[in-house]
Amino acid sequence: MLDNFRRFLEQKAGLTAEQFSEVTADLRTARFKAGEILLRQGDVCDHTFFVEEGLLRLYSISDNGKEHILQFAPENWFISDRSSAYFGEPSEYFIDAIEDTTVVFLDKEFLRKVSDASPSFRSSNDYLLHNHIRFLYKRVNMLISDTAEQRYLSFIELYPDLTLRVPQWMIASYLGITPESLSRVRKELARRNFRKD
Amino acid sequence: MATKQIERVIAPESKHFVGDGFLVYNMIPGSSGLTMQRMSPFIMLDYNAPYYFPPSDTPKGVGVHPHRGFETVTIAYKGKVEHHDSSGGGGVIEEGDVQWMTAASGVLHKEFHEKEWSKKGGEFQMVQLWVNLPAAHKMSKPGYQAITDAQMQRYKIDEAGSEVKVISGEYMGVKGAAKTFTPVHLYNATLKAGVSATFDLPAKYNTALLVIEGSVTVNGTHKVPANNLGLFANGGETFAVEATTDSVVLILSGEPIDEPIAAHGPFVMNTRQEIMEAFHDYNVGKFGYLED
Repeated sequence: MLDNFRRFLEQKAGLTAEQFSEVTADLRTARFKAGEILLRQGDVCDHTFFVEEGLLRLYSISDNGKEHILQFAPENWFISDRSSAYFGEPSEYFIDAIEDTTVVFLDKEFLRKVSDASPSFRSSNDYLLHNHIRFLYKRVNMLISDTAEQRYLSFIELYPDLTLRVPQWMIASYLGITPESLSRVRKELARRNFRKD
Repeated sequence: MATKQIERVIAPESKHFVGDGFLVYNMIPGSSGLTMQRMSPFIMLDYNAPYYFPPSDTPKGVGVHPHRGFETVTIAYKGKVEHHDSSGGGGVIEEGDVQWMTAASGVLHKEFHEKEWSKKGGEFQMVQLWVNLPAAHKMSKPGYQAITDAQMQRYKIDEAGSEVKVISGEYMGVKGAAKTFTPVHLYNATLKAGVSATFDLPAKYNTALLVIEGSVTVNGTHKVPANNLGLFANGGETFAVEATTDSVVLILSGEPIDEPIAAHGPFVMNTRQEIMEAFHDYNVGKFGYLED
């Protein structure tokens, strides 16, 4: 149970088994079925989700009803709306489960407990925050400057197994291209890379 | 020769849909603890027991998906399935036919109920088996063998219709048409009520039988009803199958491939690294392209 989360805390905070038991004593976890919504636009959500197993996505819905996927979170990823979790504002986004998913709820109190137990966790947590900002910069740059093929190649680098877990239209939504354009990219890659001998 | 004993009779558990066209009991690896290693080279067996699909203008099935590192064997008992793959293989299989697809280095394929059959609907019954490939052949060229019922080699037991159809390997000197990379004996035995057949297979081969129709008694001691899997212990060579009622039994026996297994979804390789390569190669189009 919670093997991924335990490994994460071992690696990032160097917690002993005893410390892990202490900090996770009143930890909240939950299991969501595929399709269930964890966060709705307008809600205030004061925690971050750690994905122990399964797959979540963060998305917005534009005025014309179109979904725009900002992030996928498979196993070992964190997902949250920081405007809500950190600034306490009503969220502009939705989070839902693409697969049956087990999550750990992380809040400020939990992070304080881990930091108290392990001073090195503060720098690990800082690193994770900067890594997240780096990821967002890359993503912004990709969306304003990259070709459809470059976007797809970055996607498979970051999420190697999601092409088999997520429908094409969701990948296209995440990449900011049409499903037809994604299909053309994959067909063109196959034309170049498929050796039928 | 020593008797090959039944180790366990495994009853089917819950069914699940594969795509929207196959409602299957997963028997291997399944929840019964039959691991890929225990049944090697048979690393997966899904059984769609008889199920009525109502008429549908849109054929039901499974859309485009990849495979690498093994072979998929589809055995049709009732209904019709249409298949296409990225290496150019394709066709329709129906009652009595077997499709033996060697995914090896990688194919994309899709499987749907055949269009006209789908429009009429009907009783559907099939087995899909995954046969592992040894490391030396995991990256071989993909292949496709269609073995129709008419081409199937048969060992006739009696005039009333009892017979053993040899899909691969050999039975009583009759050789099956399917070419395999490691020794695999795969038979469909049709046995009329009261008829018995004897099988002689190497002690160390992983061996099981699946009762497709009817009910049988193995070695005079173990009853195996319809939809149940009779798992044999890895000792002894000979066993007898007697039909209690008119029966059809799928018999599988193969030399274990003694190599590590790294499996993730549709890829079955030897190492984790090879699985990551499979994802990458699939993502960049090395498996080809197939329209949905």
